[in-house]
Amino acid sequence: MIKLSTIILTAVALAGKFFAADVAPDFSAANKLYAAGKFSDAAGAYEKILQKGAVSPALLFNYGNAEFKSGHLGNAIAAFRRAELFAPRDSEIRANLAFVRNQVQGATVRQDIWQRWLGSFTLNEWTIFAAMTFWVTFILLVTKQIRPARAAKLKGAIWIFAALTIFSGTIAGVQTAHYFSRQTAVVVSAEATVRSGPFDDAQNAFAVHDGAELSVLDRREDWLQVADGAGKTGWLPAKQVEVLPGA
Amino acid sequence: MELQFAEKFFRRRKSKLKFISLAAVLILAASSLAGAATFTASLDRDTITLGESAMLALAFEGGQSKNIPTPDVSGLQITQTGTSQSVNIVNGAMSSTVTVSFSVTARRTGEFTIPALTADVNGEQLSTEPLKLTVLKADAPDAAAINSGAEIVFLKLSLPEKKIYTGQMLVAQLQICVRDDVRNFGNFQFTGRPADGFTIGKMVQGPNQRAQIGSHVYTVIPLNFSLTAVKSGALSLGPFTANAVYVVPSASEQNGDPFLRQFFSQGEQKQVSLASETLTAESLPLPTENVPADFNGAVGDYELTATGGPTNLAVGDPITVRVQISGHGALDALTLPDQTALRDFKIFPPTAKVESTDQLGLEGRKTFEEIVTPQNTDVHEWPPFSFSFFNPDDGKYHTLTQPAVLLAVHSAGEMVMHTIAAANNSIVENQTPQDILPIKENLGTFGTESVPLIAQPKFLVLQSLPVVALLAAFIWRKRADQLANNPRLRRKIAVEKLIQDGIADLRKFAAENNSEEFFALQYRLLREQLGERLDCPASVITENVVEENSILRGAPKATLDGLRELFQLCNQARYAPVRGSAELNSVVTLFEKSIGGLQEMKK
Repeated sequence: MIKLSTIILTAVALAGKFFAADVAPDFSAANKLYAAGKFSDAAGAYEKILQKGAVSPALLFNYGNAEFKSGHLGNAIAAFRRAELFAPRDSEIRANLAFVRNQVQGATVRQDIWQRWLGSFTLNEWTIFAAMTFWVTFILLVTKQIRPARAAKLKGAIWIFAALTIFSGTIAGVQTAHYFSRQTAVVVSAEATVRSGPFDDAQNAFAVHDGAELSVLDRREDWLQVADGAGKTGWLPAKQVEVLPGA
Repeated sequence: MELQFAEKFFRRRKSKLKFISLAAVLILAASSLAGAATFTASLDRDTITLGESAMLALAFEGGQSKNIPTPDVSGLQITQTGTSQSVNIVNGAMSSTVTVSFSVTARRTGEFTIPALTADVNGEQLSTEPLKLTVLKADAPDAAAINSGAEIVFLKLSLPEKKIYTGQMLVAQLQICVRDDVRNFGNFQFTGRPADGFTIGKMVQGPNQRAQIGSHVYTVIPLNFSLTAVKSGALSLGPFTANAVYVVPSASEQNGDPFLRQFFSQGEQKQVSLASETLTAESLPLPTENVPADFNGAVGDYELTATGGPTNLAVGDPITVRVQISGHGALDALTLPDQTALRDFKIFPPTAKVESTDQLGLEGRKTFEEIVTPQNTDVHEWPPFSFSFFNPDDGKYHTLTQPAVLLAVHSAGEMVMHTIAAANNSIVENQTPQDILPIKENLGTFGTESVPLIAQPKFLVLQSLPVVALLAAFIWRKRADQLANNPRLRRKIAVEKLIQDGIADLRKFAAENNSEEFFALQYRLLREQLGERLDCPASVITENVVEENSILRGAPKATLDGLRELFQLCNQARYAPVRGSAELNSVVTLFEKSIGGLQEMKK
């Protein structure tokens, strides 16, 4: 098992290195454009690298910076949030995301303390933690069956790991539910009008600004039903937002 | 005994009550059938003031209507409020009346006619007479009535200044004066607050006061509210109109002990429509001379502070500019001066926050926060910031200026050490950053935006392994426990193993033509197997057991014959041990068959 996991990790790391070597010149060129104050060009260059398939927190971070400095708050927030999915404890990503969010005008959905705490670890990290405690619990249970004489000594450890399994499993379950059942729409146009129905002639419900984060409630063809932080709901054309997983 | 008596008593009373009720219903029905039905409409008064309500009653006497007609009169809002029923006995004649009540509220002044209404009562079409209702404009009581103390409740409106400037904010007051003989005052609701040229802001109730007016003491309830003049010229405020309900002593209460009266008398409740006087003011336009270039309509008396940072930064990095305007005036309406001329900066829309220090929102501060980013390295300062306003107290324009903020703007590639960037990776959680952090130079670890681990079938299947392992361990454990608790089974398994290994050894001895070892082992194996089958120690097994033991009698004949032959061969071998390999192998075959038959035999 250890050998297999070592091989997989090495393969992933090597694949990442090869990919990094491929895009490193492009990344460096984009950084130079950014340094020269050509933020729109830099954003375009970072976006091209992203379109090649692989992503890194640093690439998304720089892309977010370039979009912010080009005046596109929504694209910047979306990039920082995607970067946060990969590196949830990166203080620089968090700082810039918080900074850009502060510039957003009007209603926007804000994560509560519980959601922020959940988001301290990625869904995969919670899943791996839950799986590890699950495996350890079962290994201890198997040991208890095979070596009944050690049952008394194992009892405490089994309870601790069983509790950890339930705890981490619950968190992973909640995170999974959030990931698959909730979506956030980040407004990426300067101003968007939320309408009362999913059609162009529908009455205006309220306006949202670039960078506003809205909860996605429903989707109908090219329209998304969204709710802002104040509980107002309405429909927005899908092309005016970038949809991200999770709340 | 006593209980039984009480039970009988109540049973008798119950039957009597039933009889009386039945009689009453019959009499009522008879009287309603006997008399002719009537349908009438009436108003509790024929004149009301705008904002007051009159009560319209539709009475059906001696019958019931299939439908209740609802009058529809333009300018009047007529709403059904309830239904009541009454039974009258006059000189022995009984009549039942159903009354449907409506509330009539006027939307405008004038003469209104409620038309004749028709209803089907007991199959007969009955109509009411038309009713007239006059709605008058609520007027403020005259000064003489107020000063004499004749008005029970009245409104008094006051403006602090008669000459004001357009855009100026001021505080007006409306006083509700309630005479001391009013026991209760409530349900106060404005029905109109007209203001021509003013916008009315927040209204806040002040502490009650007492005032002597004429021969009476009044409780004065002050309502302060903010006003903003929105146009120049003649402005008017009022009349403010309102409805209220108050309770005064009824006429019949004038006699008797006043001490007892306050406990036992409920007084007379009256609804009143109140109106204040109309006030006028003159709004002066703002002077057109000496108007500062950056004046954008702020009227009041203000102070200014402005800060900006960081000052040492790269091109495109944001500077947070905070402008705080504090003082007296229309804070909500304040805006930042036009900054479109600042071409060297990209300016993001500012956020604004108003913090009032008084309840009416006239005093306080408004804080603007905007993010600006220098667009090139030629920028050396954030220019001086100025804010101009017109002060109505001295009738002059004033300009407040904050000095320029010096900036050191570097190329974005020079990686300036920002205040926050210097404290990289040490940003306290939940602390709002003051500046965006610079880009990362290294690509870092690559990943792919793939399906989360928890949704991958391979991962989920892998998680079943510990469960399978535990299941296997559990079964193994159960089996071990079973063996530990069953010595016969344990012996059976051990003997089976012994026989299996023994047959292999027998074949080996046969091949080696070692008849001595061969028969010694065969004899031992026979005893072990028979001992296990007969549940006795192997040491007590002899050839005789085949003939004598009752358990073996149930074994097939071939098995028994085979066992006998094997024992005989073992005995013969003691005396003539030398035999050929082929013969020994045939003995092994016989041994296998006999032992197999023995093992299959049920105990």
